[in-house]
Amino acid sequence: MNISRRTLLASSVAAAALLKAPLAWAATPPDTLIQAWAIDDIISLDPAEVFEFTASEILGNTYDGLVGYDVDDVTDISGVLAESWEVSEDGKTFTFTMKPDLQFASGNPITAADPVFSFVRVIKLDKSPAFILSQFGFTPDNVEETIRQTGDMTFEFEMDQAYAPTLVLYCLTATVGFIVDKALVLEHEADGDFGYEWLKTNYAGSGPFVIRDWRANEAVVMERNQNYWGEPPALERSIYRHIPESATERLLLQEGDIDIARKLSPQDIQALRGADGIKVQEGVKGSIYYLGLNQKNEYLSHPKVREAMKYLVDYGAIADTVMEGLVEVHQSFLPKGFLGVLEETPYSLDVDKAKALLEEAGYPDGFTVTMDTRNTPDITGMAQAIQQTMARAGITIEIIPGDGQQTLTKYRARNHDIYIGRWGPDYQDPHTNADTFARNPDNSDDASAKPLAWRNSWDIPEMTAMADAAVLEPDTEKRAEMYRELQREHQQVSPFVIMFQEIEVLAMRDEVENFIIGPSFNDNSFEFVTKG
Amino acid sequence: MIGAARRDWLLTEAPASRRQARLGQSYRLWMAFSRNRLAMVGLGIVLALVAMAIFADVIAPYDPLRGGGLRTARLLPPSAEHLMGTDDQARDIFSRIVHGSRITLMVVALVAVIATPIGLLVGTCAGYFGGWVDTVLMRITDVFLAFPRLILALAFVAALGPGIENAIIAIAITSWPPYARLARAETLTIRDTDHIAAIRLQGASSARILWGHVTPLCLSSVIVRVTLDMAGIILTAAGLGFLGLGAQPPQPEWGAMIAAGRGYIIDYWWVATMPGIAIFVVSLGFNLLGDGLRDILDPKART
Repeated sequence: MNISRRTLLASSVAAAALLKAPLAWAATPPDTLIQAWAIDDIISLDPAEVFEFTASEILGNTYDGLVGYDVDDVTDISGVLAESWEVSEDGKTFTFTMKPDLQFASGNPITAADPVFSFVRVIKLDKSPAFILSQFGFTPDNVEETIRQTGDMTFEFEMDQAYAPTLVLYCLTATVGFIVDKALVLEHEADGDFGYEWLKTNYAGSGPFVIRDWRANEAVVMERNQNYWGEPPALERSIYRHIPESATERLLLQEGDIDIARKLSPQDIQALRGADGIKVQEGVKGSIYYLGLNQKNEYLSHPKVREAMKYLVDYGAIADTVMEGLVEVHQSFLPKGFLGVLEETPYSLDVDKAKALLEEAGYPDGFTVTMDTRNTPDITGMAQAIQQTMARAGITIEIIPGDGQQTLTKYRARNHDIYIGRWGPDYQDPHTNADTFARNPDNSDDASAKPLAWRNSWDIPEMTAMADAAVLEPDTEKRAEMYRELQREHQQVSPFVIMFQEIEVLAMRDEVENFIIGPSFNDNSFEFVTKG
Repeated sequence: MIGAARRDWLLTEAPASRRQARLGQSYRLWMAFSRNRLAMVGLGIVLALVAMAIFADVIAPYDPLRGGGLRTARLLPPSAEHLMGTDDQARDIFSRIVHGSRITLMVVALVAVIATPIGLLVGTCAGYFGGWVDTVLMRITDVFLAFPRLILALAFVAALGPGIENAIIAIAITSWPPYARLARAETLTIRDTDHIAAIRLQGASSARILWGHVTPLCLSSVIVRVTLDMAGIILTAAGLGFLGLGAQPPQPEWGAMIAAGRGYIIDYWWVATMPGIAIFVVSLGFNLLGDGLRDILDPKART
């Protein structure tokens, strides 16, 4: 009797507690940062393969490169894992010296063997971002002779030409230049794959955080690196949750279930600007929104059609409504903040002109093409607005929605008609975008380098030569002028309808401090974040 | 007077011709049906839907696909000018809903036209022939019934590729099994009756018996079932559209419209609410109609 009464009492207390629970104020743990973002673009966590926005940011917080730059002044380049470097007299060879006594998250010491292994691995695996390194003349056949260890803590990096030193260093700040833990990766090597299968979903770096878990379209969990060689971060844990809907993010943020909302629509940002306990942080990003017109399509390969389509996007209205506060109109391939940027915006919505151009091209009644569209609200919204204005000139666009992986995979196999996408520069030198938008050294289906020009089957030997010349120009002013020249022509003839430059806006709870928005996604850092 | 005479002619206990008997029977059904208020409401809704689909171009005040100026006409609340407001692409929601009725009706009609004959054929064959034919056909039916309908439709659309045509095919493929079950059960009760035996003794072939004598008797219960299923079909189509697997933008499919509006639901409630109301009303209409039809067509339920 006694016992049962006590059990009854206990269970009723428990029931009361349960009933009360939903009323309690939700909050994230004080040592954990929870961000809501769309992480459906992640296809790998391997620095040799990562080329996507979300994964870049994750690697930026979990791996280290040889060198880095100040996010407020990108010209200030300094060593991260490298202590110093020298350039040989002929300008072709860099000699790097590593900082002593550093270690990976696994506890393995960092020596010159690790960067040598990391770079050789990138070149031999030859994944999408490998061109950032291979453009210096490295091939799977010669890389073992040209990138060579010369001592415990020193190695040489020998290129085929005397490239501008800043270009080389900027390239090494890209995710593809991040250093992996040689000993750890080799433990998981299978059939000579350099641990490729394993590193896709695992971690072998030295950054402030370690990646503990990635569940596709669900979450990425990172924890503090207990063996970090620098100042350990204040946060114990950092989690990305896959929440692609803006309205959901907004509600979660207001309820305190997340700390930072990363994927907000313009109207939700407007609403959150005045909300209690919430602040909004902005930063101009180097990312560019554009349409890629595949030249394998007979309609789109006509130069007049390409030009007409540039007059069929209502740039101003989209920037002011559908994408309000998230973009500014920008129509050349170098984003603001880069050497040689071209700020002219010659195109605006002009249906009559577009119709005349289509008539000259021989398609007075227009035609039908498909557009592969990532199913996030911003991209879909832009796509539908473009679909409407294109329809006014008779161009029917069929939107094919898909998640980030589906659309990207199709784009990379160049099986699209039109791809609406976003491009982020890989490093802070103008060559990064020139290389992908205006260079296509080999347009064959099995080309080794697959820049955006290749993805859209745009064969441009002359423009490729112009871009190559700009890389070797030592005089900065002349070089800037060469890029402006290149962009003017590109603007006129290219199969890229470049539309906007991105402004990254995120809303966070008031107590979150010190989140850094850098110019590129791998500069976004939560290393110093504290929650007061 | 003339009305009364026609009424007497229709209701006579001793019809002079087959036509008179048939018309009289229909009239009796209609009288029974029209006594059911809710069923009449359902019929009204469905007829309104059909009328809306036919005269969409006349009814809709704006172009359903092309919006007004993004700067001026975007996300406007309901007003006299835009009865249901405008959406994020500055399109008039009322016009989109009116044109969307065509898609909804097309889905419902095509699914009914594809799935009903398949279900009837499988069910009557299984019931009439029995034995291994029955076993094979019913096990196939069981396989389809073993999956939730929306999940199976999702799988088919994923395999066929997104689009309204593929959504229709997927829904049709997943909706015939209940009709097959129903037709089989009806056939089992019919096949041993005296009139079937009489036809068989006269030498009629199986095909003739199935088509001419079994199918018509199964038809009424299958029709009731199809009508009741219409609401489910609409919801499945809307669900596929919502998930991005049905109609593609900019088609004004109601489910896709809700999906597009959910991003604005907090500040601009009408964008998602209006198509939601449309789906609700039409599903309710088909359900009420189906209920009414069941009451008059099902001989066992008739008192």
